[in-house]
Amino acid sequence: MLFIENLCKQYGKLTAVDNLSLQVDTGAIFGLVGPNGAGKTTTMKILAALLTPTSGKAWIAGEDVSANPARIRQLVGYMPDFFGVYDDLKVDEYLDFYAASYGISVRERRMIIGDLLELVDLSHKRQAYVDSLSRGMKQRLCLARSLVHDPALLILDEPASGLDPRARVEMRELLKELKSMGKTIIISSHILPELAELCTHIAIMEAGRLVVSGTNQEIVEHTRTGRTLQIRVMDQGDAAALILQEELGLTEISFINNSLELPFNGSNEELNHILTRMVKSGIPVVSFSEGKNNLEDIFMQVTKGVVQ
Amino acid sequence: MKRLVLNPVLDKEFRSRMRTWKSPLLISLYLGTLALITLGYYWTQQQRIYYSGFGPDVGPQIYVTLTIFQLMLVSFVTPAFTAGVISGEREKQTLDLLICTRLSATSIILNKLLASIAYILLLIISSLPFFGVVYFFGGVLLSEIAQVFLVYLMTALTFGAVGVFCSTIFRKTQVSVVVTYVIVFFFLAGTAAITAFLVNVRPNFGGIPAFAYLNPLVALYSTFPGSFAQGMPLNFGIGSSRMVGLNAPVSSLQPWHYNFIGDGIIIVVLLFIAVLLLDPVGRFSRLKRWFRRKKPVQVDGGDINEETHSEELHNEAEA
Repeated sequence: MLFIENLCKQYGKLTAVDNLSLQVDTGAIFGLVGPNGAGKTTTMKILAALLTPTSGKAWIAGEDVSANPARIRQLVGYMPDFFGVYDDLKVDEYLDFYAASYGISVRERRMIIGDLLELVDLSHKRQAYVDSLSRGMKQRLCLARSLVHDPALLILDEPASGLDPRARVEMRELLKELKSMGKTIIISSHILPELAELCTHIAIMEAGRLVVSGTNQEIVEHTRTGRTLQIRVMDQGDAAALILQEELGLTEISFINNSLELPFNGSNEELNHILTRMVKSGIPVVSFSEGKNNLEDIFMQVTKGVVQ
Repeated sequence: MKRLVLNPVLDKEFRSRMRTWKSPLLISLYLGTLALITLGYYWTQQQRIYYSGFGPDVGPQIYVTLTIFQLMLVSFVTPAFTAGVISGEREKQTLDLLICTRLSATSIILNKLLASIAYILLLIISSLPFFGVVYFFGGVLLSEIAQVFLVYLMTALTFGAVGVFCSTIFRKTQVSVVVTYVIVFFFLAGTAAITAFLVNVRPNFGGIPAFAYLNPLVALYSTFPGSFAQGMPLNFGIGSSRMVGLNAPVSSLQPWHYNFIGDGIIIVVLLFIAVLLLDPVGRFSRLKRWFRRKKPVQVDGGDINEETHSEELHNEAEA
């Protein structure tokens, strides 16, 4: 669906996007993660044909983004991180305006607006002024707006920002629904656990560069050097810590309430050896597991906090 | 062409503008001001006629006063309507969403301008009954009133184009409005002041410099009936006002014709630049595509078309 090759965007001396290459498959939910100033929004704006790249290319469904912006705008539904609404329009008028702007006929518009309002659960607000909607409702309305022309690719920049927990859950469910409808979605967010749950693929950006990209599993594998070992014992925690120190030569072992946690970079054989020794030493081991890194941990590991 | 004229932007602007109480209030204020001027002038002339008998110039005099005030009102109102059309969208963070649609930059710019001009046209048309008063006294032809309305329309279009241009260039509406008013003021007073200065420096000056035709007042004066069209006071210095003949460079054309030509050029140039600035990605896209189709791309020693190249890469991505 999307192919990016050596994409660069410079503003004077500032390089907002630096040699970015990516690939997004059809039907994927692709999470774009990165600190502020990482170049996520710039990348998304280039893909939505709102910015021209300084160099490099991007193709959406085989169409060159820079060469054919009109076609790209038909293929892409874009929801920016900050957006305004026309306060003096009603909800259905707002969607009708955008649908008309995409050249959809009056008859089709009536059907589409009804369907979209139902999808984003705003049918009851059809005649309400946009101004009177809550933040969450406005976000959902903007999502409906980005869907009026039935785009193949949705580019959503921080769609859940500023939403309360309930609205965030509703937005997440909505995105899952869109995925089931076969849409390809590129989404950026700062709420990393939600992205991990929602996305099929993740890319982490920093200072305009791509740090790591792939499926969730691939990213965990990529950052395997940073995994942790979690052990819980009934008692004799000190003895267990001693064994671990002897075997791994570690000093930084967290030991709280009979639970031990330590960084581990060894092989599965080493894990097995440690467990066997503990059991043979009579230490009552309750659980012995490899701590799974969440997206937040991985993000902290692979990014260096570089601010442009 | 149909999409360009029957445009959702135009529809939305009309809907939004006429929905609030501001529109009827503005029309009322506008007409109220014109009514005050007409009645005030009529009242003072009535006093004069009472003492001196029949006044054949009363009709044309009311007409001239009314048209000049209306031109000033149009010049004052137009920047207020147009100087925020694009910067306002930018400030409301709706511009990106608008550009993302299939609407072209040309369509957005033209329809924003048209929507504003349509409202100004509504103001002008609603003032027609005041011109009916002139007919009580006679001395003004219908064709002359039509010419005046053309001057209003052209002035609104020109100042509207200036407003849209400033609104595209400046990110903040406040800045755009101020700059637009400065430019409008230059058109109205600046050109007249420079002309008056040049005429004073060279007393044997036969006509007025070409740029003075950009002044809508010059165009307006040239449409006035009888003696009113013979000249306009250009000497703003101390002493008696000198009447300078509005000798057009070519006798067959009236000053308002020159004004229209100058305004036409300004409108086209400003709107063209505004369209280019509004959508940097979309501009010349058709031209670029045409060139890309014509220009072969060298890949691994072989010539392939750019689009074929993109398709290959896409297929790789799909694989």
